[in-house]
Amino acid sequence: MGHVPNPRPAGDFRTSYIRDNALFKTGFEGKTALGIVLALIIAAPFLSNYVLSQLIVISIYSIAALGLNILVGVTGQISLGHGAFFGFGAFASAWIVSSFGIPALLAIPLAGLLTTAVGMIFGVPAARIKGLYLAIATLASQFILEDFFARADWFSGGVYGALAARPTFFGFTFDTDLSYFYLVLFWTVVSIVAITNLLRSRDGRALVAVRDHYLSAEIMGVNLTKYRILSFGISSFFAGLAGALFAHYLEFVSVEGFTILLSIQFLAMIIIGGLGSVYGTILGAIFVLLLPQVMEGATTSAADLFPALAAGKAYIKEMSVGAAIILFLIFEPEGLIHRWRVIRASWKLFPFAR
Amino acid sequence: MSVRTTTLSLLAATMLAGTAQAEDKVFVGHLVDYTGPTAFVGKSYGPGVADALKYVNANGGIGGTVIEFETVDYAYKVPDAIANYKRWKDKGMVAMQGWGTGDTEALISFVARDEVPVYSASYSAHLTDPTGANPSTKKPAPYNFFYGASYSDSCRALAKWAAEDAKTKGIKDPIFLHTGDNHPYPNAPKKACGEYAAELGMTVANPVVVPLKPGDFKAQCLTIKESGAQYVFMGNLGGSIVSLLKSCGTVGVKANYMGNVWAGDYKTVESSEAEKIIFPSSTPFYGQDVPGMKTVEAILKGGSGEAGEKPTHHYIRGICSAFYMKEAMDWAKANGGITGANIKKGMYAKKDWVPAGLEGVCLPSSWSEKDHRGLMTVAINQGSFDNGKVMIERIAESTLPRREDWLGQ
Repeated sequence: MGHVPNPRPAGDFRTSYIRDNALFKTGFEGKTALGIVLALIIAAPFLSNYVLSQLIVISIYSIAALGLNILVGVTGQISLGHGAFFGFGAFASAWIVSSFGIPALLAIPLAGLLTTAVGMIFGVPAARIKGLYLAIATLASQFILEDFFARADWFSGGVYGALAARPTFFGFTFDTDLSYFYLVLFWTVVSIVAITNLLRSRDGRALVAVRDHYLSAEIMGVNLTKYRILSFGISSFFAGLAGALFAHYLEFVSVEGFTILLSIQFLAMIIIGGLGSVYGTILGAIFVLLLPQVMEGATTSAADLFPALAAGKAYIKEMSVGAAIILFLIFEPEGLIHRWRVIRASWKLFPFAR
Repeated sequence: MSVRTTTLSLLAATMLAGTAQAEDKVFVGHLVDYTGPTAFVGKSYGPGVADALKYVNANGGIGGTVIEFETVDYAYKVPDAIANYKRWKDKGMVAMQGWGTGDTEALISFVARDEVPVYSASYSAHLTDPTGANPSTKKPAPYNFFYGASYSDSCRALAKWAAEDAKTKGIKDPIFLHTGDNHPYPNAPKKACGEYAAELGMTVANPVVVPLKPGDFKAQCLTIKESGAQYVFMGNLGGSIVSLLKSCGTVGVKANYMGNVWAGDYKTVESSEAEKIIFPSSTPFYGQDVPGMKTVEAILKGGSGEAGEKPTHHYIRGICSAFYMKEAMDWAKANGGITGANIKKGMYAKKDWVPAGLEGVCLPSSWSEKDHRGLMTVAINQGSFDNGKVMIERIAESTLPRREDWLGQ
């Protein structure tokens, strides 16, 4: 981390261990988080369907990216198979609902648990290998799972895909985007709180220790194998949870949706947002998901001005995400969240800001 | 008083005019694949539909109602198709011009629930049983239509041709083999066609999986060679067919290659330098001397030009798909308004019909409440690349019976 001044006001020192471990670092931070959630709850009925659908997709992808951030940002492992775990959750939820008649509301977290199990199995190689070798090992999980989806008719419906109806709750169906948004928002808040909470626990610190210096961690008594595999499990749980939410949102799960590209997109989100940061992940998800649409608008207006660009519109749009990642790695290697911290610090230190 | 009445009536008139104007448009979603694995033919068919709708609008629309349509390139990705469908549904879409088998089959229950007729470019037989009358039908598809013979029926016609061909050539134990990706589109006729080939007394070899994306298929060709198949059905299209034919040429497989309706056109024959590739068609080719060809020429002239100077027969099928929808909309407008449910009824209003102006281009088709197999006639063509020229000739035409056990299969 580059140097960013302490966000707490002058004179506000943490004098007890409990306060040092608070869920929110400052009162302002807690109030803002609560304010954003309340504002979303109140504003949602007045938003257009387009904005709502964007919010739903951003929230779902944020949950999955949060999971990946535990693995990559916090524990320092790597996974190129996160998209497949997301897909596994999606198919698992559809399968649980259609095969066992379990209500979708329950099936969504259950799918997360099933994905946890699968993730831990595919995380076993992490006990022995790391770095690039681990990346290739997780790449295998991507292809194995993708092939499994295409062939396991009993589980995924094979190449024809599976239907995943919207959840119902005592006769109330989450069939509008508005009601579904509340459901997704609930799970997003739960995920954010759970992960923030995890990071301040013993297990959370153990994960960070594994990342920062695994040898020291081992000497301090951290069981490396356990925490590496646990990290895969936690990350898969959120991938599965998000996948299940995504399945019931689209109401249909198809093999084609969960390719390596999705895995890379998740990686892009956490790299752009800021490795290891909860709020950064959400910023990254917003950035990666909205960038193509902003570029669509920009290229459309550019194409109106310069008709020669019209043919390459789709190409420019697709390229923009890749270009953004390169630019971020060069100019902002610590992600959007670092930029935000710098801005915040400059407000605090005004007029002595850099 | 009089001023007030005038103002009021003026206001009422403007309001009425306002609503009348709002009713003067209907929205149709148009899915195309210009950049995905089926773009090879998508770039012909998509402009066919769009140009035809443009032509309809330029010539009075649906009795004055303009068809507002949005063309979206979804690159053959099912999730993108579903996301677009939902967006269009919120816009009040009355009908959809669809594309692939994967997305159309995925949307069956959605369109049935929302009463949106879909005119797909997928001819999967799974879309032809509207009531689920056949016990083997997995999902009834009441709102799915397409112009042309189903994949299964065209494959059956090819199997029939193959059985006869084997008899005339004196092949004792003809072997039939299906190739194609593990994907809804190549899979659609796999079972049905294999069963019929067996019924005709042919030996059906194990299917060979060939990816939909072009590549080096020598390994697959060796498997085909080992199977000894004389009649190889190709469920894929475009670049994949070209790759397969070239790879098998290198390996030296001696077989008759048969494709479905998307697998054969002069572009495929040209780039694969094919020798006697067999493929079905359900329209004449561009420039053939039939009365309706003038309309096709006018549509091409007024179109976007994306299909080129000499479009393939996929372009013409796109026009037919748009015009059957247009005439059903005409009927709907005269019988209670252009809604999805009325357009569906409009499809049943006539028997053995051809859209006005396209005589000889679209073949007479009938849809009924219990049977969405519009066309049972399959023309069989043979294309060869000879001395730098593409030669395509019609070698047979067969009309299959409407067998009950074939409905939806």
